[in-house]
Amino acid sequence: MKLPLSWIKEFVDVDVDIQTLCDKMVGIGLEIEEVVYLGEHVTNVKVCQIKEVTRHPNAERLLCCKVDIGGEIIPIVTNDHHIKVNDKVPVALHGATLANGLRITKGKMRGEESWGMFCGAEELGINGDMYPDADTDGVLILRNEATVGEDIRKEVGIDDYVLDVSVTANRQDCNSVLGLSREVAVALGKTCRNPSIEYHENGVDTDKLVNVDVQAQDICKGYFMQGVTDVTIRKSPIWMTSRLAKVGLHGINNLVDITNYVLFEIGQPMHAFDYNDIGDHKIIVRRAFDGEKIVPLDGKEYTLNNDDLVIADCDHAIGLAGIMGGSNSGIKNDTTCVLFESATFARMNVRRTGHRLGIRSDSSARFEKGIDTYTNNLGLSRALHLIEQLGCGKITRGRIAVGETAQCRDVKFDKRRISQLLGIKIPDERILSILNSLNIPTKIDGNNVWCIVPPYRDDILRDCDIIEELIRVYGYNNISGTLMEKSRITCGGKTDEAKRIDNIKDVLCGIGYNECVFYPFGGKTLFEKASTREIDDNEYIKLLNPIGEELSRMNRSLAPNMLQCISVNLSRNNKNLRLFEVGKAYIADKLPLVELPFEQSRLSICATDIDFDSFRRDVLQVVCSVTDEKISLKRSDYDMLHPGISADIFAKETNLGRLGKLHPKVAANFDIQTDCFYAEIYLDKLFGIARAEIKYKPFAKFPSVSRDFAFLCDEDVAAQDILDEFLNLPLVESADMFDVYRGEKLGLNKKSVAITVVFRDKNKTLQDSDIEKQSAKALRALKEKYNVVLREQ
Amino acid sequence: MTIEQIKSTFDVEIAACKNANELQELKSKYLGKSGALTSLLKSIKDLPAEERPIFGSKVNELRKQMENRFSSKGEELFAAELERRLREERVDVSLTSCSHRGALHPITLVENQICDLMIAMGFEVLSGPEIETDYYNFQALNIPYDHPARDMQDTFYITDNILLRTQTSAMQARVMERKKPPLKIVCPGKVYRSDSDASHSPVFNQIEGLVVDKNVTLCDLKGTLEYIAAHLFGPQTKVRFRPSYFPFTEPSVEVDLTCSNCGGKGCSLCKETGWIEVLGAGMVNPFVLENCGIDSGKYSGFAFGIGVERVAMIKYGIPDIRLFYENDLRFLKQFGK
Repeated sequence: MKLPLSWIKEFVDVDVDIQTLCDKMVGIGLEIEEVVYLGEHVTNVKVCQIKEVTRHPNAERLLCCKVDIGGEIIPIVTNDHHIKVNDKVPVALHGATLANGLRITKGKMRGEESWGMFCGAEELGINGDMYPDADTDGVLILRNEATVGEDIRKEVGIDDYVLDVSVTANRQDCNSVLGLSREVAVALGKTCRNPSIEYHENGVDTDKLVNVDVQAQDICKGYFMQGVTDVTIRKSPIWMTSRLAKVGLHGINNLVDITNYVLFEIGQPMHAFDYNDIGDHKIIVRRAFDGEKIVPLDGKEYTLNNDDLVIADCDHAIGLAGIMGGSNSGIKNDTTCVLFESATFARMNVRRTGHRLGIRSDSSARFEKGIDTYTNNLGLSRALHLIEQLGCGKITRGRIAVGETAQCRDVKFDKRRISQLLGIKIPDERILSILNSLNIPTKIDGNNVWCIVPPYRDDILRDCDIIEELIRVYGYNNISGTLMEKSRITCGGKTDEAKRIDNIKDVLCGIGYNECVFYPFGGKTLFEKASTREIDDNEYIKLLNPIGEELSRMNRSLAPNMLQCISVNLSRNNKNLRLFEVGKAYIADKLPLVELPFEQSRLSICATDIDFDSFRRDVLQVVCSVTDEKISLKRSDYDMLHPGISADIFAKETNLGRLGKLHPKVAANFDIQTDCFYAEIYLDKLFGIARAEIKYKPFAKFPSVSRDFAFLCDEDVAAQDILDEFLNLPLVESADMFDVYRGEKLGLNKKSVAITVVFRDKNKTLQDSDIEKQSAKALRALKEKYNVVLREQ
Repeated sequence: MTIEQIKSTFDVEIAACKNANELQELKSKYLGKSGALTSLLKSIKDLPAEERPIFGSKVNELRKQMENRFSSKGEELFAAELERRLREERVDVSLTSCSHRGALHPITLVENQICDLMIAMGFEVLSGPEIETDYYNFQALNIPYDHPARDMQDTFYITDNILLRTQTSAMQARVMERKKPPLKIVCPGKVYRSDSDASHSPVFNQIEGLVVDKNVTLCDLKGTLEYIAAHLFGPQTKVRFRPSYFPFTEPSVEVDLTCSNCGGKGCSLCKETGWIEVLGAGMVNPFVLENCGIDSGKYSGFAFGIGVERVAMIKYGIPDIRLFYENDLRFLKQFGK
């Protein structure tokens, strides 16, 4: 909300500098976004009076002047031939700066001294709204009353500040100069004057002029109307247009300007109808018919439905209530009779219609924040006062009023609530003086507090609201920290899941992986890059209003964003990438969503410049840090991984995730030209089989014996299957592969697998014969199941 | 050979002995089963009976001498060998590169730091769904449909009633419906706003704090935040409240901390104000308590929401929020310990 300091001064005597004012406003809860000094760029420009004008001796188009700048006469050369002796004009002196960025210096023009330059309106950054005749080109001729020698900023009204105040959503009453002035008065400990609202009714009776029928009272809580006859449409005075200019509006004509003025000053959106355009002189406030059309002032046609509120005459809609007037009923240069509408339209209704149709106006913005019937009447009276002040016409007799009249609200509560909530005590006299300054008359009787809240404060409903008013004015610096000394001890901590995630992150960091955080959404194009198949776009949860396609669908896998990141890192020449993310996949049972989807915790691990075995070990280290279950790896058919170099991770029948080398197509999609391995683990599944407690098991005292075996088998035989045959034996403690060999001697599609097996009996020292017997069983099974035989030495 | 002959060859040979192996060979040559001394002793039977004891004692004496020599020579050789090894075994010790631990993301670091502190104060750490109902994200927090406060946060919708949570405050009612006071919780997690300008990220992280019990006051809120601020930015950090508005707290405050960069003197980080805005907070609005079946006459509470990236940016001097989500390895590695 733009707030000119000069306009505040209309209501409050501000006697502090601008910085202090801003600090005090911030102190009571008004955030100041920006402070602009209107005359910032116009320096060292003064009002001067022309004393003498002569032709330039060396240049036909130039004139030489002698001007009085307040006790000193200086020479100025100009090319403006409109100026005359005794004119008062702005002169930029040596060192001056102007609104258009010019710097003025003393100099000679074609041999004649010129100690400055006369200025036009544009160079001062003003226009005809702000100063009489400031719309013309050339040197600005000032008023006769201007004081010679004075700083030009004072004369043209730019010695003023405009504050941009951010008003919180609960304080609709502060979206006006008057509302903010009330707050400024509280902040400075001053009183706020009321705006003048007196006027004389000297026209015809209002209700003889027009008939008002509010049919949709549920969304129009108040509707007030009064008219002006014998209207003269003309320009508004400069004091009015210059204020409007400072809040960003152009002067149009007296009637329209008055409605805008009241909108900014009182916060009441007003509408002025041309009486002659209202069919049958009847105003109907009703819901639109489905399919009804309207062309408001913006000239576009909109199709309405039964949720929209319109102002209509006997034939058709003449305004979109609270949003925009109709193009057929606005103020024109030949308008002779107007009807002022000042109403309370339901904010949610204005908001919905505005959003659906995509129209917003200063009016609708105010209505969306909320208006009350107190302000309706204040605004209408203020408008009529201005009509009279500006001599715009005759004010009709009586006001048509439909709907509730504004009521003050009683709030009663126990005074002890104040210290209960704040933790400090505020003396009674301070309570009374603070609430009084806020126009909340209050009585305190023992522990009973009784407040009467003015109707424009619709944010104050109960005790805590009053307490907030007290503390924001009393000052938050009176609050000093305590540490919940009077409340009970509680037992804190993380959930098991959170602890396990912390643990996993520790394990991964320990083996050199770095944690990443990604947006949990992406676009169809990205998701397709991470797959070798066509993706089913219908499976994704989609945002209704994404920022763009690339951020429109919730993840179903962590891979796309991770691979994108790998790609970016590689392109920046970062090598040896070791990355992981703990994120979520969002899995919907049914789309469109009717209930919340499953948010599955997942872990993605990705590495470049690594081989399958090392990557597999890294991934399994994470898995085995959580669970004691036996893990098996089975060839995977997951489409983003290389079919020959990827595996699904199982614990019994449960699929915990997958790992493997990127499919060359996917790697190419992301322009990944180095070996890249990826794993994704379903953390909910993994945590489902987490070890409960660590239990100590006694270890065997008898020595172990290890034996090496070298096997010859087909290429397809899985090494783990060979190991498993030994691991299934009762006396085998461990079995590991230590070598694979392929060579011509072995034959095509053959390999040799060398393993070490450790045997141990917990009850005795093993004999060779025990080991022979055990091994024989495994060797037999291997031969039968997989055609795996011992390699001849 | 006579004893004298044996002795003199032994003396020559043991002196020439250069290592433990040679010494061992020499030992078996003289003292072994078929060693010189053993065969000498065997020849005792060829001597007359009266010479035997003298001969025997001479041989035994020689054996003793030899054993002593072997033992001392052994020690001598061991010492020499050790000295040689220590002289010869050398590596270049100058290189300082080390293999690095991976790093936690700075968002996690800050989150952990805050959560650990809160746990020590008796707070439970809970997490909730990111895809949330309109009810928990708005209505239960005193933000009905069409409330102007909805404009404060641009919301990503999935359906009319399901959305991406705009605030971790969405957890407040979820928790209060299940658990009754005393209640101390923190809820870290991702939140979403459809802000698309350069200084805002559509996804960021918050930590919601909520306390509900008898006798919880605004002073307790300030004390708790002072404790967190001191922990994050140092014990000299001051906390300032400014009045503000959130529909689910009353009173509501914006919380500023003294700038950690300049200590409150004014610098470019704090735009010369000496203060940095880090979070919003307030006393839980009784409407929210009552809505969850908690008696607002008996219980009061406070809530706060910390922006994790905001804290991390101040703490580590990170200039741009996008760096968090870009995950450049050179960024990530800086947070390893």
